Amino acid sequence: MRRFLIFAAKRSAFVIPQLLAVSLIVFTLIRLLPGDPSFMLAGPYASPDRIAEVHRSLGLNKPIVEQYLQYLRRISVGDFGTSWRTSQPVLTDIEQRLPATLELVVGAVVLSVLIGVPLGVAVANNRGGTVDRLVFTYGMLAGSLPDFWIGLVLILIFFYALGWAPAPVGQLGMAVSPPDHITGAYLLDALLTRDWRSFVSALSQLVLPVATLVLVYMPLVLKTTRSTMEEMLDSNFVLQARASGLSRRTQLRYALRNALPSIVTIVGILFWFLLGGAVLVETIFAWGGLGQYAVESVVNSDYASLQAVVLVIAVFTTFVFLIVDLLYFVLDPRITI
Amino acid sequence: MRVSFASDLWQFARGRPGMLIGLCIILVNFALALVGPLVAPYATEAPSSASLLSPSVHHLFGTDVSGLDIFSRVLAAPRIDLTIALISTTIAFAFGVALGVVSGFFAQAQRGGRLVSSLILRLADIVQAFPVFVFALALVGISGPSVRTVIVALAFLNTPFFLRLTRGAVLQIRSRTFVEAALCSGNSELRAAFIHVMPNAIAPPLVHFSTTIGFSILLTAGLSFVGAGVPPPTPELGLMIQVGAQNMITGQWWTALFPGVALATTVLSFSLFGDNLRVYLDPTNRR
Repeated sequence: MRRFLIFAAKRSAFVIPQLLAVSLIVFTLIRLLPGDPSFMLAGPYASPDRIAEVHRSLGLNKPIVEQYLQYLRRISVGDFGTSWRTSQPVLTDIEQRLPATLELVVGAVVLSVLIGVPLGVAVANNRGGTVDRLVFTYGMLAGSLPDFWIGLVLILIFFYALGWAPAPVGQLGMAVSPPDHITGAYLLDALLTRDWRSFVSALSQLVLPVATLVLVYMPLVLKTTRSTMEEMLDSNFVLQARASGLSRRTQLRYALRNALPSIVTIVGILFWFLLGGAVLVETIFAWGGLGQYAVESVVNSDYASLQAVVLVIAVFTTFVFLIVDLLYFVLDPRITI
Repeated sequence: MRVSFASDLWQFARGRPGMLIGLCIILVNFALALVGPLVAPYATEAPSSASLLSPSVHHLFGTDVSGLDIFSRVLAAPRIDLTIALISTTIAFAFGVALGVVSGFFAQAQRGGRLVSSLILRLADIVQAFPVFVFALALVGISGPSVRTVIVALAFLNTPFFLRLTRGAVLQIRSRTFVEAALCSGNSELRAAFIHVMPNAIAPPLVHFSTTIGFSILLTAGLSFVGAGVPPPTPELGLMIQVGAQNMITGQWWTALFPGVALATTVLSFSLFGDNLRVYLDPTNRR
């Protein structure tokens, strides 16, 4: 326990410089922007004096270090500026959209683990069988599929041809009003407020996008579980267990216990990847999450919101990797910082 | 008797249809990258017929909403997609492996070595703190969509993957006796790291090379799909899927289906090849 606390303290201490570095990179992104934002803000008919005034009021005439500190001060209180496109504070925009993205990503990750890990263990235990070959072929295939295209194909089949799935219009059907706001994630809010009509609608809207993500990204978990399990089953400690006459079940448990660090890592990577990678699927399904917001910001040159999205997702990721590293230590205390 | 690498690999590949199929599709892709636009039956960037014609003898894959022949554009696409992927992956591989070897070899070292090692890892952490796609979007969004920006963004984003893979492999190998032996017989640490450890740790990143090409093609297509990649009307697969997306939902399936199949097949061939290469390079894996 003491070792864990030392490790956790050391690892957590890295978060601060990491966050600073992240903010520095995002700040640099702002500075790389083409043109001077004062022109944009002052409007096309502004006099040179007015532009200079805006320039000063933005603090652009100050030294760069001071500008960075000023930027840190602003983001630490959640002031990300105003979006040119929605004319709302960027923070409000993000608060409205983050739960939708998290709902999608968490749903896909949880389902991927629930399917991928047991399937991986089963396949590793039964090498060379028909299931092994099928799973192998699917794993190869799935990793190569463009998620946005799979989303389209699923829409074509299940919405256009079969009519089973609802139209890809976002998190809720057209005629359904959103549940009372608690967390912002419609599915959760509907469940908490027992608003079954919106719960069913939110759930049915969630099926295709989550299915798309699981179909394409679950094999990551599956393949890692499979290969690590195979490695563990081939290792001496399992041989020892078998020689001692322990049941296959116990052998598998020993192997899985030792495969867990790799599995936790790949799940962390999956979560990290989907935080940004769900962007395309969000676009296809008009999901209205953070990813779609990012795309719209890029296409409309809405830089304030783009930077904020990048920053928010990066901060999220920093904590995801922190948790992964801590879990890893719990599972395999041999590692050091 | 020493068997040459190529003939040994060939012997290995003969028994593995997946590898041969992958290799064939990769070769077709390279061939198309060279001559694709020349063998295309119609112009690739100018309308050739009425819009939204369904597949027929004249237009094998049909035409899209502006009357462009989809088959011709699919043939021409590897020139853009493959070039971007190859260049960016090579850059990422070179940087990633070098940094990974250094960072893995000196992870348990004294003083400065250890500092450099963890510094490299933390830098990778920071780059990876930015989710791939959003970061690529931001990079491309700020410098303006162009082939060069996409290459730089992809290389930058892929480097940490190679770094981590190499580092992981090096960490495992570092404690083996042969490394100790190499150091004891007078090799400098850097020499031991790059001459003795690196060749034994190269398999994971090398396998990843092929997969990364596929991944980069996917990412390029994704960026173009949302309008942040190569500009239209370039014959690029993601761009074609984007043009077809609206029609696909209303039943003109061929517009986005064929470019998608081409995209998936290309990416698949690289992972097939890469995965078989992994088996080839790891003799304990041969069955």
